[in-house]
Amino acid sequence: METEYDQVLHSVAQVKIADQTGVNQDEDGVKVSCFTEVLDDVTLHFQIIRLAKQIYVWIGYNSAKFGNLYAAASTRPSNTVSVATVLGGTSDNTGSGIAHRLVMKTGLNIIMACNIPKNNPLLEAKAEKMLMRKLIDLGYTMPTPLRAT
Amino acid sequence: MSALQLLLVGVEEAEDREILSGGRSRPRLRMESLDANFPVRHRKVSLEAKGNKTEIVLCSYEDHILVIATQIGAMGTILHARKEEGMSVEPTFSVSVIFGKRDEPMLIATARRLIDHISSYVPSKPLVLSLGLKDHSSETLKEIVAAVIENRLW
Repeated sequence: METEYDQVLHSVAQVKIADQTGVNQDEDGVKVSCFTEVLDDVTLHFQIIRLAKQIYVWIGYNSAKFGNLYAAASTRPSNTVSVATVLGGTSDNTGSGIAHRLVMKTGLNIIMACNIPKNNPLLEAKAEKMLMRKLIDLGYTMPTPLRAT
Repeated sequence: MSALQLLLVGVEEAEDREILSGGRSRPRLRMESLDANFPVRHRKVSLEAKGNKTEIVLCSYEDHILVIATQIGAMGTILHARKEEGMSVEPTFSVSVIFGKRDEPMLIATARRLIDHISSYVPSKPLVLSLGLKDHSSETLKEIVAAVIENRLW
């Protein structure tokens, strides 16, 4: 039994090393993840492109339209989050809230395109939650988010 | 992730093509997503331009084309290029930097070159081009334009 236990420990140690090399390889390339979620009668498409120092995200509401483009990042010195509307997005700011909260919770530098219609805060919240979950699952989030809670 | 299939296409094919065309023998790596259910098609190209590893991602949305070319691991400067609706025979284009460096005319020229090419295939789709490059020399940009045209999704 001892030798079996030793074998298991040895294989676990090997798994950890393999994970580390996997992470190093991933950092070299660009990784694209796409997935779709259906909510009630709404289809949300998500596309996440992971670059080494930045993440590009696209959220599609029922269609493959590009939507409005926002850039969000934490700004020194106080680590507050700034969001800029880069393309489109007049005064409704539908996607900028999502971008803002994504940076706050994940600490990442984010460029986000989103075509979710305005006046739909519940849908925004659901899309944001799905995206957050996926970013955490993929292991893209930084270990210490900006917000304390 | 479960529905995603990655196809490694023609590294040797690309090499042969380049050797036949009498050009460089630098291999280009192309990966394509074959997820038929996802409405946005994308393609990844990896190449070396003047010794710098360059990753290019092309995405085709319903009303836009997105091209990301990065050497620095970030999107860098983002440009928007559009064919103008006009009455004259010759097409006119509107190209502008919407995020990042506004004093690099070579980037604008690259976007102009690409939208010229794109609009001959899909005239109604504007281009969002992101260039995160270490150098803005014309050789690098020509390589990027060639790679984008060779791997177009439109």
